Amino acid sequence: MNLTIFLLALFDGIAYAALVFSVAVGLTLIFGVMRILNVAHGSLYAVGAYLTATLTGYVLALGFAPLLAFPLMIVSAVLVGVLLGGPIEWLLLRRIYNKPEVLQLLVTFAVFMILEDVQRLVWGTQPYFQASALQALGMVKVFGVNYTVYQLILLPLLALTLLVGLRFFLRHTILGKLILATTEDREAAQSIGIDADKVFLVTFIVGAALAGLGGALASPTTSILPGMGADMIVLSFAVVATAGLGQIEGAAFTALLIGLGRSFAVYVWPETAVLVPYLIMLIVLLVRPEGLFGSPTARKI
Amino acid sequence: MLELSNVGASIGIIPILRNLDVTISAAETVALIGRNGAGKTTLLRSIMGFTTVTGSIRFEGEDITGLLPAKRPGLGIGYAPEDRRLFSAFTVEENILLPAQVAKLDAAETKRRLDRVYHILPELKTMAGRPAGNVSGGQGKMVALGRALMLGTRLIMLDEPFQGLAPALALRYAEALKALRDADRTVTLIITESNPSLLRGFASRTLLIERGEVSESSLEHERTH
Repeated sequence: MNLTIFLLALFDGIAYAALVFSVAVGLTLIFGVMRILNVAHGSLYAVGAYLTATLTGYVLALGFAPLLAFPLMIVSAVLVGVLLGGPIEWLLLRRIYNKPEVLQLLVTFAVFMILEDVQRLVWGTQPYFQASALQALGMVKVFGVNYTVYQLILLPLLALTLLVGLRFFLRHTILGKLILATTEDREAAQSIGIDADKVFLVTFIVGAALAGLGGALASPTTSILPGMGADMIVLSFAVVATAGLGQIEGAAFTALLIGLGRSFAVYVWPETAVLVPYLIMLIVLLVRPEGLFGSPTARKI
Repeated sequence: MLELSNVGASIGIIPILRNLDVTISAAETVALIGRNGAGKTTLLRSIMGFTTVTGSIRFEGEDITGLLPAKRPGLGIGYAPEDRRLFSAFTVEENILLPAQVAKLDAAETKRRLDRVYHILPELKTMAGRPAGNVSGGQGKMVALGRALMLGTRLIMLDEPFQGLAPALALRYAEALKALRDADRTVTLIITESNPSLLRGFASRTLLIERGEVSESSLEHERTH
């Protein structure tokens, strides 16, 4: 393996890890707080991507600058969080918090299936491609290797901001403290006046918006087509499970591990590229069933 | 200030409270005694709204039977559950301050109430910056009392506060309760306890709960109990 290929694999891995992390962090936040594994997270990711591509295409057709794609990513993420995440928690999940896990899984899986068909209904089955955000930032040359600024600098920077920002939000803002308190002990939280229902709703909206943001960020780097949500939910579940469910910093580490493992496999032994993330998960969980950073008694976020 | 009329509560199909009629006046210090499983905790949880009840519960004239649990502390009710249940992600002082932040009290009022807590429980000040997950069981009970004091301006309910306390700490806790009573003559206190001797001389009234039914109890009764 020469330096160029090594760097390409490294950059691919970092860019990919940043994307996967931004999706996985919402999944692990929702699990950490609400103890619900949200399978529909993959669909929210896909809808975020479709929405960004559609809005960007529309705005460009009106003659606006390609840089406008960036605020539209935020808009798409917020729309996904509020318009999809809100009703999912409020109409469905709220009714099943005390029900068995298998029922909770079935309900979020049902939402996933419905949203998959809704995507086909709205956006059809033809792939979308909308890379103006990627092109707007141009390229950078590192040790003779050309790479997009968007993937090499912006995505990792955003992932890092997300990680630090989320930790700060949880630890140092009132709303974050309410979320942490409710996570640790729902009833003790209510007995000091915390509206636990509202905390769950807000958490789910934030988590769903993060899924949408992941899709929005991924949209310029990939073709947007049916099935992308399924791929992403399986992968981000692998990241979250390898780290330990509910571990935010841990998910950042395993996203990097799995992202790099996958990208190096692409260059070294391409046949195994799809397999490598799950192989990493399998090995980790065989040795530590609670995940790399999880404790056997499941410390919550 | 607190009226329970015909209150019944069940866990699953097992009735825990049966047709309770209890009226508690402002400024009373009520010892609620009874064996384990008699329904003491369920009664406090019913007043907090964590247990669905039949009948009606009125607080300061207002019917709160169906009120969401999270809305009740705002009425001036402080509650320290049996197992101290602090938030281990925060420091001791953050635990005490959180109820005031939830209730959106202004800075001056928050400081006034925090000073009151430190006046009654001076030991909390010395451990204010410690992570709540690292305090001992007895210290944790003090923190839980301090947290309940922040919003408990009208009614404070303490569930088995002496449970598991070493004798010296139990004495200290009883002292703190007396300091609370001296500092605030109008607040109503309800304290559950399976060992009535700990509250003798402090409670102005003793209620005995047996098989989900409440009766007035005299001190004589307690001694033979």
